[in-house]
Amino acid sequence: MTNINLQNINYQYGDTVILKNIEHTFEAGRFYTILGPSGCGKTTILKMIGGFIHPTDGKVSFDGRTMNGIDANRRKVNTVFQDYALFPHLNVYENIAFGLKVRRISKNEIRTKVEEALRFVNLADFRDRPIDALSGGQRQRVAIARAIVNEPDVLLLDEPLSALDQNLRVDMQYELKEIQKRLGITFIFVTHDQEEALALSDEILVMNNGEIVQAGPPKDIYDEPLNRYVAEFIGDSNIVRGVMVEDNLVSIYGRNYSCVDGGLKPNTSVDVMIRPEDLLITGHDKGKMNVTIDSSLFRGVHYEIGCIDQDGYEWIVHSTKDAEIGQKAALDFERVNIHVMVPGEDEDAFNERLESYQEDEV
Amino acid sequence: MRKLLFIPYLIWIVLFVVAPLGLMVGYSFFDISGNPTLENYGAFFSSEYFEMTLSSFWYAFLITLFSLLVSYPLALAIRQTKHKMFWLLLIILPTWINLLLKTYAFIGMFGKEGLVNAVAAAFGLGELQLLFSDVAFIIVSVYIFIPFMLLPIFNAVDGIDSNLLSAARDLGASKWDTLRRVLLPLSLPGIKTGIQVVFIPSLSLFMITRLITGNKVITLGTAIEQQFLTTENWGMGATIGVFLILAMMLVMTVTSGRSNKETGRVGRL
Amino acid sequence: MKTLGRSYMVVIFICLYLPIAYLIFYSLNSGGTMTSFDGFTLEHYQSVFTDSRLIVILLNTVAVALVSAGLATLIGIGGAIGLYNIRMKRLKQSLLSLNNVMIVSPDVIIGASLLILFTVLGISLGAFSVIMAHIAFSVPIVVLMILPKLQDMKSSYLDAARDLGASSFDVLWRVIIPHIKPGILAGFFMALTYSLDDFAVTFFVTGSGFSVLSVEIYAMARRGISLEINAISTLVFLVVLVIALGYYFITSRASVKRGGIT
Repeated sequence: MTNINLQNINYQYGDTVILKNIEHTFEAGRFYTILGPSGCGKTTILKMIGGFIHPTDGKVSFDGRTMNGIDANRRKVNTVFQDYALFPHLNVYENIAFGLKVRRISKNEIRTKVEEALRFVNLADFRDRPIDALSGGQRQRVAIARAIVNEPDVLLLDEPLSALDQNLRVDMQYELKEIQKRLGITFIFVTHDQEEALALSDEILVMNNGEIVQAGPPKDIYDEPLNRYVAEFIGDSNIVRGVMVEDNLVSIYGRNYSCVDGGLKPNTSVDVMIRPEDLLITGHDKGKMNVTIDSSLFRGVHYEIGCIDQDGYEWIVHSTKDAEIGQKAALDFERVNIHVMVPGEDEDAFNERLESYQEDEV
Repeated sequence: MRKLLFIPYLIWIVLFVVAPLGLMVGYSFFDISGNPTLENYGAFFSSEYFEMTLSSFWYAFLITLFSLLVSYPLALAIRQTKHKMFWLLLIILPTWINLLLKTYAFIGMFGKEGLVNAVAAAFGLGELQLLFSDVAFIIVSVYIFIPFMLLPIFNAVDGIDSNLLSAARDLGASKWDTLRRVLLPLSLPGIKTGIQVVFIPSLSLFMITRLITGNKVITLGTAIEQQFLTTENWGMGATIGVFLILAMMLVMTVTSGRSNKETGRVGRL
Repeated sequence: MKTLGRSYMVVIFICLYLPIAYLIFYSLNSGGTMTSFDGFTLEHYQSVFTDSRLIVILLNTVAVALVSAGLATLIGIGGAIGLYNIRMKRLKQSLLSLNNVMIVSPDVIIGASLLILFTVLGISLGAFSVIMAHIAFSVPIVVLMILPKLQDMKSSYLDAARDLGASSFDVLWRVIIPHIKPGILAGFFMALTYSLDDFAVTFFVTGSGFSVLSVEIYAMARRGISLEINAISTLVFLVVLVIALGYYFITSRASVKRGGIT
């Protein structure tokens, strides 16, 4: 089992800075997701761990052993590529056997291992098929089998689900999670899809502009996003400007609301975030904020309702019940559902603050 | 490993592309007995060579023009057939037969009692003196070049979406308008490539002129061959060669622009 | 309009094949001319096959074609892969231009400049110089046939191979070469036809002791009509027909395979 440590990694391609001060430890046996928009550097981190590129600055180490300069073919790490990169001139069996063959493993052993891998991904009947006769989901599984047959300590997955249609994607999410549990190896999964990240991961790394913005378990990131960027990237959110009056009291548009955040100097300006599913529509004057229903969209699982408050700001509400457009209503919410974010605060300061007042509460 | 494989190719470029062309230019500055001179260039601009160059360009122009006039409608006709690939193969097939054999066939057909005169006689026409005439040279050259003109044009017209033509008709264009305003502009890259692959060889082929016209038509190619292999005045031959290369570069610049990869050259002459 | 196009096509195709048919027809003429058909005979074929000098020339032609096409293909594979790997756009573009110079250069220029080169290097004119010259003009077309295949190879294939533990040699042998095989094959075939078809370049760089078919035909044709040439033409046509059909089926099968099930 391998712990992977990225130490102060910088990466430049020509004049473009792609990664800035990346620091992270990937512990053995966990499912990590690197989440971010395209161009944020998430695939670059994957390529660096895979050994396809080497950092301009900083150190990649596996269990304390420096891996800088050691190429992909000499690492116990395998990759499932975004387009699967299955060799078109080889059939399913030959594709899976490729890694074993170039390691000069005996034919019998190759056969045993490949057949085991085929059974593992439920493709035993497809061993002699050409690649172009497979569906997207089957290709995906061949790509996984081809990687895991080499018994890597770490499996890297570069947006492997992005080419699949919606239903298949959800199925494959379950399958991936299942495979990771059975193998017990580290998965590092790259995606720009927040739902995938939330559903699969033990830990999510949210990236932006070549930096890791926030890392942590999915629930923490969802509930306590570090800043506006993370909040908007993960889940839907209502974010408004506010001022921290004192501990446990925040002012939005001049009205004070009780909350659970603290540890800030009085009158610090902050971003206040409330998730749409935490807002409740009640009768006029019965909630914390009077609004008028402005729009309603049926989303299948819920209605997405747009409300305009007295000051003309829009609030999005997710509700299982529809509301009549034009109706006067009010929004209600619990104090724990108000999340206060300080612009410019970094992850360490944020965590420190979180710990300080959470201890107070206990 | 892969770098090692690149070395023979680089040697090839230096030895067979850069060095020969350099030598060619270098030799153009030496006279027949090996002394440095500019006389070759002086001679080239004398009336004798100048007229030869002009006539060579004139013939090349005519050959290119007629090849184009024959090939363009042919490309359109093939575009409409069901088995395009089959017809294309039929066009390409003759290019696989050595040029000399095809030229030789015309010696027989154009001869005094050959096929052409037999047909002419049947129509009550008098005997035609085709062999050893410049008309014969143009006919044979056009015959040889048709496939080379056709292929790039065909590739260009074949790549045109039929919906574009339907759209033009739908917007009220007549057949002629459609041809002039849609088909021609869209197939222009193919036409340019076609002109490129026909015009340059037309300047330089020497075996057709030798076999068909005796020594009546002299092209740049014929002159180079004569200087190198008969007169053995390599300096003069190299000088004409330098001008042929310049002409080639000129034609390439005029006809290049955004050239389509698919319409690339398929054979060489 | 369609029938007009059809008939135009038919007329052109008749014109294209008429000279060839004419040659073949008179190859069976017992008279000595290409103007009047006196009677059927195979004697011209007989004399081709019993002319040991001609047989040697024929073997020379085929040997030159195979050797030069083979070597040109090897050099071209290395060249195409090398060009593909170059990151600097300028350098790549200039090398490609040099590659193309050879393709667009007229044969007289190639022939004359190689004649100068061989003379300067002190290489005597004969089999060796002819083979070198044929390699010279075949390499760029091989490169052009292979390069597109490399370009449409996804770079993730190479990453995947490295990822699975392949050495540089494994990547080349097990991934790149299989992928560009159709291009290699097409390049080899093109080189073969270039070599077989060439007259002008060979004419410049061959010596008195060594001849190939096209040069020999030129010499014979300059002397006048000889129905032996007609017989050779017929044989060449048949061989070409077989090769062309083979080539057609190989390429069309390859394209069916590629464009098949997706």
